[in-house]
Amino acid sequence: MRVHAKRAVALAAGLLSPAVVVADWTMNMTPGVTGTSNQIFSLHMTILWICVAIGVVVFGVMFWSIFAHRKSQGAKPANFHENTVVEILWTIIPFAILVAMAIPATATLVEMYDTTESEVDIKITGYQWRWQYEYINEDFGYFSSLSTPRDQIENRQAKGENYLLEVDNPLVIPVGKKVRFLLTANDVIHSWWVPEFGVKKDAIPGFINETWTRVDEPGIYRGQCTELCGKDHGFMPVVVEAVPEEEYNAWVAEQREAAEKERQLTQKDWTLEELMERGEKAYATACAACHQADGSGAPPAFPALKGSPIATGDMTAHIDIVVNGKSGTAMQAFGNQLSEVDLAAVITYERNAWGNNTGDMVTPKEIFDYKNQQ
Amino acid sequence: MSAVADTHSQEHHHGPAKGISRWLLTTNHKDIGSMYLMFSFAMFLLGGSMAMVIRAELFQPGLQIVQPEFFNQMTTMHGLIMVFGAVMPAFVGLANWMLPLMIGAPDMALPRMNNWSFWLLPCAFLILVSTLFMQGGAPNFGWTFYAPLSTTYGPPSTTFFIFAVHIMGVSSIMGAINVIATILNMRAPGMTLMKMPLFVWTWLITAFLLIAVMPVLAGVVTMMLMDINFGTSFFDASGGGDPVLFQHVFWFFGHPEVYIMILPAFGAISHIVAAFSRKPLFGYASMVYAVGAIALLSFVVWAHHMFTVGIPLAGQLFFMYATMLIAVPTGVKVFNWVTTMFRGSLSFEAPMLFAVAFIIL
Repeated sequence: MRVHAKRAVALAAGLLSPAVVVADWTMNMTPGVTGTSNQIFSLHMTILWICVAIGVVVFGVMFWSIFAHRKSQGAKPANFHENTVVEILWTIIPFAILVAMAIPATATLVEMYDTTESEVDIKITGYQWRWQYEYINEDFGYFSSLSTPRDQIENRQAKGENYLLEVDNPLVIPVGKKVRFLLTANDVIHSWWVPEFGVKKDAIPGFINETWTRVDEPGIYRGQCTELCGKDHGFMPVVVEAVPEEEYNAWVAEQREAAEKERQLTQKDWTLEELMERGEKAYATACAACHQADGSGAPPAFPALKGSPIATGDMTAHIDIVVNGKSGTAMQAFGNQLSEVDLAAVITYERNAWGNNTGDMVTPKEIFDYKNQQ
Repeated sequence: MSAVADTHSQEHHHGPAKGISRWLLTTNHKDIGSMYLMFSFAMFLLGGSMAMVIRAELFQPGLQIVQPEFFNQMTTMHGLIMVFGAVMPAFVGLANWMLPLMIGAPDMALPRMNNWSFWLLPCAFLILVSTLFMQGGAPNFGWTFYAPLSTTYGPPSTTFFIFAVHIMGVSSIMGAINVIATILNMRAPGMTLMKMPLFVWTWLITAFLLIAVMPVLAGVVTMMLMDINFGTSFFDASGGGDPVLFQHVFWFFGHPEVYIMILPAFGAISHIVAAFSRKPLFGYASMVYAVGAIALLSFVVWAHHMFTVGIPLAGQLFFMYATMLIAVPTGVKVFNWVTTMFRGSLSFEAPMLFAVAFIIL
């Protein structure tokens, strides 16, 4: 009976265990900032204490034997070698403990799967190697890429506090509202994970996964891609800014305006210099990871653009490969990822940078027309 | 006529062959067991040095020694070499050595097939390790090689990786057939199944697991081969396929695979704990049933490797419950080992130290 009492106490202690047990050693899971993450944490602590109790008993018996039943101390071996009652007992009791664990776990899982009645919907697309966030009911979206400088990664500069966990454009969501995420991918399987939300879901190309969260505390929350996706799998973090509702609404309004302005820029008349300036920035974000900042690439997987026959030759072929990609290779179709302005700017840049100097220029209107005639 | 008997011709028939032929052509289970063990140790050192590269790079934040592309090749090859080149051959080596001795048989049931099972492995690993030197590098998509990273986005060496996996699979399947044929047919008179040493039981069950799932692995890598080279789209949504199909088929192999790697160890632990406690193993029958239950359950838990993939809630719950259930027979084994030690007469030579540490872990 002592064993049962011990287990009962452990169970109670586990269930009542406050987050204080976490301490600051960062050795435990975080309780997090959502209802889900707190439930997951409680389940974890309960099961942990049950396992500790069982461990104490089992290893207690083992260590006692190691101490008291040593041959060197004169112990003579007993001869018993089976007992059906005991076998049945230590099958049934663990089974009962498992059932007890499974009940709260089931409740939590059911809640985690309930994505209905969301107040904000965001489509998240995993790319090699960055995330795209689209606010599908608000008509705007953007890419979120790692912003840790190359110098830090290559040890030429001291590492910042959020080394490899910082991005140029974080996801912004309102506090206290149920936010539903629709996840997919553009190329390989990625996985979107924010530990403090208790959220992790795979982003699978050609399929849409759903998950949700409701954040209780404003703040900046950092996570990572958690499905091996190629060379920069460790370099595409997730950063979410949870802000009070009014701030969120104001931000959304700003973003909608900016997106509208971007769309109108397609109609404007651009000069070569303007396109080159814009193109250099767009190239750095979207192309340099594979083709390198100096255009030298990493052949054969990533061809050089400097002196490339495509970048210095037929314009239509160049537009085609940027907009439509090249199937069977890692060259993605950027037609859906970049705006017409950025596409025009990048192609113009590639045709004139690094000594390519074709003097060619392609305008956003031309890109728009090209896309529409396909 | 000679009064001296001609003894010269009789000397050819004693002892093993000389030189390399002894090893290339042996049908002796002890020689083959030794070759498996030596091969496994060599692979352990190779896979281990790759682990050291990983650890050296990760010692500090930032890129110091290798680029991410090569790092991913190291993690992938380390996993493949350790799983298929170190652990599995080591246990087959132990099986070859110990099973005939433990059941009173003169050798394995199929000694020539036994030899070929071994020699396929150095060939397979030559192919696998040579991918490190191919253009585009070695496989870099993790030892679990999920599609489409391994199909559409894999390096040219992926096809050689698939070939190597097929060869290793043939070796394992033939080895498993040999184990089952030996154990079921060549036990000494009077040794019923429930009188067999426990290591023999665990290998018998492991062999059934191998025959059940290695063909599934062969299936999934063949589907990969088709997707990469022959224009099919098993794992490509744009052709009507599904990347998650890969995961289901792979883990249907993958989960029993990890039990294949541990069950022979369970058998060894039972022997060691009983011997060094100078006491019979507690609960022999329960131990046998527990291993059987673990093996059966191992077929219905594979999606616990896929909990974030987006399978329906009912599926998630089922696999959670089934996974929790496996703890019951495993717990029974731990309790039986501890009870074997209890009131024994313990001494702590190296095997017992390993066994006790194994139980704690």
